[in-house]
Amino acid sequence: MTVRNTLAILLLLVGFTQYSCKKETLYNYEVEDVNVSRRDASKPNVKSTTEFISIAYSDVFGSTIPHDKLVKLQLAYSAFGDQKLIEQLVIRNFLQNTTNAIPSSQEMKGDVATFIQKSYVKFFGRNPNEYEAWYLKNMIDTDQSITPEIVYYGMMTSNEYRYY
Amino acid sequence: MERRSFIKKAAVATTGAFALPYILPSGRLFAASGNRIVNHVVVCLYAGGVRNLETMHKAEGNLMPNLLSGTEGINPQIIGGMTDLPSPFPTKLQSYGTLFKEFRYAAGATGHFNAHSAVLTGHYNLVDVNLKQRPANPTIFEYYRKHNSPSMSALNAWWVSNSLGPYPALNFSNYPGYGALYGANYIQPGSVISQDALSVLGDPKNFSGVDLEKINKIRSFCDNNFAKSFTAGDAGITNTTEDALLLDQYIKDSYTEALAGNYDNPWSVPEYMSGDMRNVFYAEKIIERFKPELLVVNMQDVDVCHTNFTQYCNNIRRADYSVAHLWNTIQSTPQMANDTMLIVVPEHGRNLDPNTVIDAYGRYALDHNNDDTSREIFCLVAGPSGKVVQNQVITTVTGQTIDVIPTVAKALGFLNEIPSGMLQGSPLDQALV
Repeated sequence: MTVRNTLAILLLLVGFTQYSCKKETLYNYEVEDVNVSRRDASKPNVKSTTEFISIAYSDVFGSTIPHDKLVKLQLAYSAFGDQKLIEQLVIRNFLQNTTNAIPSSQEMKGDVATFIQKSYVKFFGRNPNEYEAWYLKNMIDTDQSITPEIVYYGMMTSNEYRYY
Repeated sequence: MERRSFIKKAAVATTGAFALPYILPSGRLFAASGNRIVNHVVVCLYAGGVRNLETMHKAEGNLMPNLLSGTEGINPQIIGGMTDLPSPFPTKLQSYGTLFKEFRYAAGATGHFNAHSAVLTGHYNLVDVNLKQRPANPTIFEYYRKHNSPSMSALNAWWVSNSLGPYPALNFSNYPGYGALYGANYIQPGSVISQDALSVLGDPKNFSGVDLEKINKIRSFCDNNFAKSFTAGDAGITNTTEDALLLDQYIKDSYTEALAGNYDNPWSVPEYMSGDMRNVFYAEKIIERFKPELLVVNMQDVDVCHTNFTQYCNNIRRADYSVAHLWNTIQSTPQMANDTMLIVVPEHGRNLDPNTVIDAYGRYALDHNNDDTSREIFCLVAGPSGKVVQNQVITTVTGQTIDVIPTVAKALGFLNEIPSGMLQGSPLDQALV
């Protein structure tokens, strides 16, 4: 056997050891446990009239509602059968008031993502999920006529705003 | 006619009969199920507690000159405390219908809310009243909206009350299968259309139609991510989007009118518009604007009788004026004129024996504590001739509070649709042609 043959056999052996059958590696793909809950499950209670008016005022004006204003609103509120209709009227009056603390359109469009995040925390007491943040940002980015008042009114008249 | 042609024409005629809606003289698109006597009913609760002694028996003279025939003069002892009022309608109302002079609030405590509830539910409440709870039995509004065919929106059913407290709860019940979905629009005008309300609700932001579309898109997006819904029940009654816009405009227009001073003394009555007059006035505005098929309005100023008998008599007269004004408005409103039944009924009476409070004219005041006299009331059913028996007076003890709902249901043609056993009373057939 020549040296050349010996080398060839060695190379062959090395090749077998490298490429012959070997134990298959099993990969276990796992995901991290995430606690998933329905948002409505964590908000089982309907806000009372007083709570709704007080919270809405604070959300729009950034301050506590004066007592006399609360009393007047409560009275009008309880004197009409369709409470949704009266609530919308209450919020529209808040939005019309020039002393409110609503961000300007310029502020909103300067940082839409932050505006949405802050609005969710303010109105719903939570951060928006990825889809919610994307959807609203996309809506505001693609429609220059959307104002902060439009976003506020839409969120404040939604079902989630009525629960805690 | 060839067979093919006949079949073709017959098919077209049949299709047309089903497809083309009827436009009735009343303005309704479809004829209602059942035999309607009229297309509108207004119930006016002459409430606050009035005795038949002062109304039907005229113990102090004819305090109801617009409702009742007779020219009996006012008792000179109290005339100094009476306001002289003109007549808003030339004819005595009793000539337009049937007057039950000895009607009865036959059972249950003679409390205002309890008795209001009996009129509106057709059931006497014989247990303790929980003022924080809605009625245990369906209200007339729910019967109407559930059983009338075609079903009508809440814009056709109104409960106009003179005060808050427990009264807002009377626009729908807790009864299973009924409730807020079939409730009436409720308004206590004194609180909604007032200076105080105007100062906090009178300047709303107005969004354009385009803006509202964007708002709805955002709201719907939020609602789709939240399973609970703030709708009928927790939210009171819920109007359709279209009706809510009409109501929103109604409130807005009311503020405009109030700001213009048109509501200061719209009837130009001497001295002042009483609370009863104002409440009836606002009911009239609803009648003129929405032409509802069913409206209930109440008055309660006569309850001043707990402390002032003479003022009670004066308020009976103001209430009488209000009812006549209401009748005049109904007869001046297209679609409702000659097609409306008006039922006037107190909720209960007052005691025979006075309490110890004496007024400036030397008259003792009266409470209402379940004695026989506090159960004696009257009922006037007025309406178009040929539908309601005209100029009839029934002087024997006939009819009771729980008969009002069956009468309304019969008038609007849905009495037979109400499941048997749900109503305790019977229609006041003596008043119906």
